Amino acid sequence: MTTSSNDVRAPASDLSDDTGDRAWKAWLKPSIIGVALISVMYIAVLQYQDIMGWKYGLDSTSAEFDKYWMTLFWSQIIILPVAAVAIWAFLWFTRDRDLSNLDPKEEVVRYLRLLGLILLYTFCIYWAASYFAEQDGSWHQTVVRDTSITPSHIAIFYLSFPVYIIAGVSAFLYAMTRLPKFANGISIPFALAVTGPFMILPNVGLNEWGHAFWIMEEWFTAPLHWGFVVFGWSALALFGLASQIGLGIIDALKRAYGDAEDFRIPGPTDDMLEYSHEM
Amino acid sequence: MFSLINRSDPVLEAAGLRTPAAISSSRAFDIVIATLAIFLMAGSFHIHFMLLAGDWDFWVDWKDRQFWVSITPIVAIVFPAAAQAWLWRMFRVPFGATFVVLCLILAEWVSRIFAFHGWVYFPYSLVWPATLLPGAIVLDMVLLLTRSWLFTGIFGAWAFGLMFYPSNWPMLAAYRVPAEHMGQMATVGDLIGYHFIRSATPEYLRYIERGTLRTFGGESALIASFFAAFMCSMVYFLFWHVGVLASKIHYLPNQMKKFMGMGGMKETDTFTGHQVPSELEGARS
Repeated sequence: MTTSSNDVRAPASDLSDDTGDRAWKAWLKPSIIGVALISVMYIAVLQYQDIMGWKYGLDSTSAEFDKYWMTLFWSQIIILPVAAVAIWAFLWFTRDRDLSNLDPKEEVVRYLRLLGLILLYTFCIYWAASYFAEQDGSWHQTVVRDTSITPSHIAIFYLSFPVYIIAGVSAFLYAMTRLPKFANGISIPFALAVTGPFMILPNVGLNEWGHAFWIMEEWFTAPLHWGFVVFGWSALALFGLASQIGLGIIDALKRAYGDAEDFRIPGPTDDMLEYSHEM
Repeated sequence: MFSLINRSDPVLEAAGLRTPAAISSSRAFDIVIATLAIFLMAGSFHIHFMLLAGDWDFWVDWKDRQFWVSITPIVAIVFPAAAQAWLWRMFRVPFGATFVVLCLILAEWVSRIFAFHGWVYFPYSLVWPATLLPGAIVLDMVLLLTRSWLFTGIFGAWAFGLMFYPSNWPMLAAYRVPAEHMGQMATVGDLIGYHFIRSATPEYLRYIERGTLRTFGGESALIASFFAAFMCSMVYFLFWHVGVLASKIHYLPNQMKKFMGMGGMKETDTFTGHQVPSELEGARS
């Protein structure tokens, strides 16, 4: 930290301020721990699929399928909602009840922690929407499926989709309960970025119904799948959220580090706000 | 530890970020947002792309002159347009298209290597993804040089569509070499498709050029490229504005505030969520 004092003209009193270090740790912690945990879990799933998929995952009417795959399916169906309720309840009940008096430096740190949680959310989105989704395409070319709950569907629809929904709603709740701006007003981009991908899970119902009663061949670009695409677009709302968080951090930095003289950062431009004023 | 990235630069100076803590926080923001964007774009662009153009991208024997050349660029320009609308308008970052296309191709290769090859043993020659990078670079360059989404939509998007087939040709050409197989002519790509069995891709499901009585045979790829270029233009305009819409800042009043123990908080900054009006005026000057 001290080495940078040659480059930046800072009052000596500021050098003892550890907000910068705390901000780094704040986002690194949820990111590194979360990303590591998620990676370990999914790599274990991949290994399981690799071995058990070929051994016991080819015939859904066999007893082995029931033992090695349906057990996994049912345990996911039970564990994930319980985990969701537990995490969301924890975030809600430990909410900051005195947000009006939040120290701006602490606010900066919380913004970075929120970003760490959103990073974790997007990491979960990557696994669900990219890896397991396309992996499902490869398994469709391996079996002529005899169930909707194939080894790859168990991993994509009933594991990775719920996992990113848990992560997304958690990030949303963290912001709502820890940061004044997101508690004072519900951020529409954030809500979109969480609920849009959320809607991908209900869309599985339409998808499976259609595959069961209309067409069994796998044309991956079949219109039945387009619902996933439209909901996927809502991830673009993270652009607006990033702008909100950016402006929020600037605002907090301004309040944390003195007068506006030092922070000649413009407020939001009219272009960014025009819709908000119309509402 | 962070001394290198804490070095002051003109942007930080102009922004007034002078104290080490402020600079460090700002740099932390940059790095976390860049990392996050890779996962986000890999995920959302990929699911969009695979469910609208995936089949042609998965298999070498779907990479034809008509459907693949038409559909891929039209579908693929959606996310570059939206990403440019955010990164260029808000930050003058000139690599939005290249960045998202890179994320897409990265994500595709991960799944082709570990799922298509690693799990179910298809050869890479069957499942390699197309590239969109050259077109994306040109799209970004046009926006950087013209600084106008209109010109980018006209010239850049056309280049994006027209360049798709030529930029993939070096990878594809080898699979178009003809071969005689049991008295029939087939391309090497066809043969790879015949040989490595796919349980859910019967031949009749393969949407590729089959010729019509109204087609002049030799020009398919050229005509498809120009059609794709035209459509890319339209899609670019549409999704530039979707990107603009997506990057708007909206807040709605939180009805649960009192319940959350925040009844005393000011209502004034609900809509911008940013600053109270008097502060806002000061910050603009």
